[in-house]
Amino acid sequence: MSERTDVLQGTLALMVLKTLQTLGPQHGYGIARRIEQVSEGALQLNQGTLYPALVKLEQQGWIKTRWGVSENNRKAKFYSLTPRGARQLAAEESRWSRVTSLVGRFLVEPAGDA
Amino acid sequence: MDALRRFWARISEWRRPGTVDADLSAELQSHLDFLIEDHVRRGLSPADARQAAQRELGGLEQARALARDARGFRVADAFVSDVRLAVRHLRRTPGFTAAALVILALGIGANTAIFSVVDAVMLRPLPYAEPDRLVSVWEVMSEGLSAPGMAAQAAPAQRIAVAPANLADFAARLKSLSSMAAYATVGRNLTGGGRPERVLAEEVTANYFQTLGVTPVLGRAFSSEENTAGRERVVIISHALWQSRFGGTPDVLGKTVRLGETYEIVGVLPPDFVALSQPGATEEMAIWLPIVYEPSSLTNRKEHIVQVVARLAPHASVESARAEIAAVSEAMALEFPEIGRVRGDLAPVRADQVSDVRMMLFVLLAAVGLVLLVACVNVAGLLLVRALSRRREMAVRFALGASRNRMVFEQVVQSLVLATAGGVLGLFLGWATTRFLVAVAPSSLPHIQHAGLDARVLLFTLVTVLFTGLVFGAWPAMQAARVDPVDALKDGERSVTSAWVVRRRSTLLVAEVALSAVLLVGAVLMIRSLVALDRVDLGFNPANVLAASVALPPVPYGTPEARLRFFESLDAKLKQIPGVSDTAFGNRLPLRGNWSSGMLLDADPAMKEAGFQSISPGYFTTFGIPLVRGRALADSDRDGSAGVAVVNEAFGRALLNGADPIGHVVRRGPAMPAITVVGVVGDVRRNGRTDDSGTRAAEVIPQVYLPAAQTALYPLPLREVAVKTMEGAAGVPEAIRVAVSSLDPDQPVTTVRTLDASLAIGAAQKRFQTSLFVLFAIVAFGLAIVGVYGVIAYGVSQRSAEIALRLTLGATRSGIVLDVMRRTAIIVAIGVSAGLTAALLSSRLLISLLFEIAPTDPATYALTAAGLLIAGVSAGGLAGLRATKVNPITALK
Repeated sequence: MSERTDVLQGTLALMVLKTLQTLGPQHGYGIARRIEQVSEGALQLNQGTLYPALVKLEQQGWIKTRWGVSENNRKAKFYSLTPRGARQLAAEESRWSRVTSLVGRFLVEPAGDA
Repeated sequence: MDALRRFWARISEWRRPGTVDADLSAELQSHLDFLIEDHVRRGLSPADARQAAQRELGGLEQARALARDARGFRVADAFVSDVRLAVRHLRRTPGFTAAALVILALGIGANTAIFSVVDAVMLRPLPYAEPDRLVSVWEVMSEGLSAPGMAAQAAPAQRIAVAPANLADFAARLKSLSSMAAYATVGRNLTGGGRPERVLAEEVTANYFQTLGVTPVLGRAFSSEENTAGRERVVIISHALWQSRFGGTPDVLGKTVRLGETYEIVGVLPPDFVALSQPGATEEMAIWLPIVYEPSSLTNRKEHIVQVVARLAPHASVESARAEIAAVSEAMALEFPEIGRVRGDLAPVRADQVSDVRMMLFVLLAAVGLVLLVACVNVAGLLLVRALSRRREMAVRFALGASRNRMVFEQVVQSLVLATAGGVLGLFLGWATTRFLVAVAPSSLPHIQHAGLDARVLLFTLVTVLFTGLVFGAWPAMQAARVDPVDALKDGERSVTSAWVVRRRSTLLVAEVALSAVLLVGAVLMIRSLVALDRVDLGFNPANVLAASVALPPVPYGTPEARLRFFESLDAKLKQIPGVSDTAFGNRLPLRGNWSSGMLLDADPAMKEAGFQSISPGYFTTFGIPLVRGRALADSDRDGSAGVAVVNEAFGRALLNGADPIGHVVRRGPAMPAITVVGVVGDVRRNGRTDDSGTRAAEVIPQVYLPAAQTALYPLPLREVAVKTMEGAAGVPEAIRVAVSSLDPDQPVTTVRTLDASLAIGAAQKRFQTSLFVLFAIVAFGLAIVGVYGVIAYGVSQRSAEIALRLTLGATRSGIVLDVMRRTAIIVAIGVSAGLTAALLSSRLLISLLFEIAPTDPATYALTAAGLLIAGVSAGGLAGLRATKVNPITALK
C-alpha cells in the first residue's frame, strides 16, 4: 500500500504542475478531475492524497493559492504556477523524459541481435 | 534550501493553526460541493448525489488530518496534545501523582539548594573588576623555622602572612603583577553619632580599591599619603553602614566617626562590595582605614602581618607570576639572610578562597546527585505499575497500527510533565533549603551569603528536570512498549502481567538499594569521623573558659615591664568579676595562635624545636592542665630570680629520650639567659584536635611554659587573657571590657570568645558536611526502604490467592512471612553488594573530608550492609505479614 503511494507522490507533483501549466489557475477539484481524465480513469485521486501534495508544493514555493469564484459561481481555492514552479516543471519534464526513454530502451531491446 | 523553506512555512503556519484549519475545511467542503454538483449534472437526485460523493471521497476527517500533517509540525502538535493527555492522566490518579511529586521535589530541591551554594561559592564571578586577574599573595615557611608575629591562623600548612618589608621588595621587583595591595582585619569600637557598636574593619593600603577595580559610590578612595602616621584619620564606610547609621544621606562625607580617635568619612563603597578579608563571615565588614605600619614593620622582615591581593600585569599569567615570585624570593633570601626559609607564593583569589571547601562541595554535589538518582528510580518503579495498568490499552493501540515510538513518546511526555511539576515544587523547596544552608554554613564557605536562585541555578534546575524526566520516564516507557500485543491481549490473568512488573521493579530495587548503600557508607564514615574527632584528647578543659585579646599599642606600652604591669592589674580586676573562678594571661593561649621556635637544650649545640609561651601562674588551673611532676610556675618567679620553665610530657619524650626534663637547661639562643626546667605538666593539643589537613589528630608538640613575670625571657608581647567561669555565669564578656577600659579607656578588646566557640569554628565545616551528607543518606535510605516495601507489598498482593490457598492447605503464617523475607533478602543483598563495591571504588574521594578513619574502613561497610539488610528485610517481612492477614475466603473468591 505504501509503495503505490510513494510512486504516486513522486509523480503527482509533476502531474499537478503540468496540469496548472496547461489549464492555468485551477481549483483542487479541477486538478483532480483533469488528472483522472488524462489518465483515462487509471488514477483516482482522493482528497487525502491530493491536498497534502498541494500543501507541500505550496510550501516549496512552486504554486501559490488564492480564493476565487469558479465558472459556476462557487467559492473555491485556486492554485496557480509560480515562476519557480514553472522552472521546476521544465526541469522535471526533461528529467522525466530522459528517464522514461532510457527505461524504455531497456524494455524494448530487440532480441537476438547479439 | 527547500527543506529550510518548508520549515519556515510550517513555523509561520503553526503559529496560527486556527485559520489554517478553517481554510482547509472550507477548501475540502468546496471540493465536496463540486463533486455533488457533477453527480447532480449526471442526473442523480441531490440527496443521492451527496451520498455518492461522500462515499467516493472517503473520510473527510481523515483527509483533513493528512493535509494538516503535511502542513504543520506533527511532533509539536502531538507534543501539545500529549501534554494535555498527561495532565488528564495524572489528575485521575492523585495518589500516584502526589507520591511522585513529593519524591521528585525532594530530589530536585536538594540539588537546586546544593548547586546554588556551589554557584555562590565557586562559580559566580567575584564582585571585582576582571576577578580572574586577581591573585592572593602570601608567604610560606618551610619546615623547622620560626616566624614571630601573627602567623595566619587556620590557613593551609605553613602558610603565613606577608611581611610589609618583603612586600615592598615584591612590589618593586615583580614585573608580572601590576599592583599589590595589603590589608589586615581589625575590630574597632565605633562611637559617636549613635549607639556604640563593635565593627569589623579592614586596614588597607591606598591602592587596595584600585587593585580590586572598585570605586566608591560616594567620595573617594584613600591617597597614598594617608598611609602615613598623622594623615591616617580618614575612613571609608560600607554601603550598609551608610544606610543604617547615617540614613543614606549624601552629606555623610566630611562627617566624623569615633574609633578611639576621630576619623573623617571620605567615601562610601558600592552596596555589592565584598571585603576580601571576611568573604564567608556572617558579620559584614563595615569600615576601611588606611593602614599605617609601625616603623619596625618596614624593616623587620619577620613581621608577617598583612594579607596581600595583587592584579596580574596585562601579559602575565598565574603560572608566569608564580615562577617570578619564586625566583624573586630566592634572590631576596640571598640578599637578606634574615628572611631565612620564607618564600613568596600566589594563587588566583577565587582558587585561594575555595581551596579548603572545593572537595567538600564536590562531594556534596555528587551525594545529592545520587539522591536524585534514587528518587528517579523510585518514581520509575511507580510508573511501571501504571504502565502495567495501561498495557492492555497499548496492546490494542499497537494492534490498530499506532507506532511504538509514538507510544513511548507519549509516556516520556508524561514523565516530563511530572518532572516539570516536581521541578517547580523543587525550586520552592530548594530556595527554602538554600536560606537554611546559608544560615548554618561554616564561615569557611566564602560568599555563601549571596546564594540564591540566579539564572545559572535556574538553568541547572531546568537541566535537572529534563534529565530526571528522561531518566525515570524513558525506561518504563520502553519496557511497556515492548509488549507483545498478542500476549497482552490474550492473558487476562493478572499474575502473568504482575510478574512482568515485579521482575522489572526488582531490577530497579537493586539499583535503589545500591545507590543508597553508597551514600550510607559515606554518611557512616563521616559520623565516625566526628566521633573520632570528639574523642581526641585536647589535654586541657575548654569548658566555661572565655578568652579575649588585648593588643596593647607601643605607646605607652613599649616595654615588657609596662605590658606586664598592665596585665597584672587587669588580672587582679578580672579575679573580682562575679562568677570567675580562675584567671590567666599570656602571649599565646590554646586555640588562639601558636608560636614555636628553635632552642638549645643543655650543652647540645643543635637547635631543637619547641612551642613557647609566656604565661601567668594561673594558666594551668584556668585551662585544667594537670601538673605531672615537680612544681608549677609561682608568683615568685619574677625578674631577678633565676629563669625557670615548666615543660609538657612530650618534651621529655621527644627531646630527652624519655628522661625526666626537670633540672635540664633550655636557652632560646646561645647568648640568651639559661632557663631551668622545674616542672612537667600534661600534654595539650594547642591548636585543637586536628592537624592542618583536618584528616588526622594534631601531633603533640614539646611545649615550654615561661613565667610572664620574667620579662628577660620574653619571646612575644603579652596579648591574651582568659577567665574560667562558673557554670551559667552571665555578663562576663562585658565585665572584661569594663575591666580593660577602667585601666585604659582607649584600649579595645577583641576576639572575645569561649574556647568551645573556637573549637566549634574549627569543627564547623566537618559538622556541616556531615549533617548534609547524613541528611542525604537518610533520604536515600528512606526512599530505598519505602521502595522495598512497595515492591514486596505489590508482589505479595498479586499472589494473595496463592497465599490464601497455601494457608488453607496448612501453611503457617510465619512460614509465608519467612518466605517473603527470604526473597526480599536476596534482592536487597544483591543491591547491597553492588552498592558496597561502588562505595569501595569511589570512597577515596572522601579522604580529605574524613578524620582518622580509612575510606575503606571494614566496620563501616559491615554496619552499612547490616543496616540495609535488616531494614530491607523488615520492610519485606512487614509487607508479607500484611498479606497473610487476608481472609482466605475473600482472596480465593
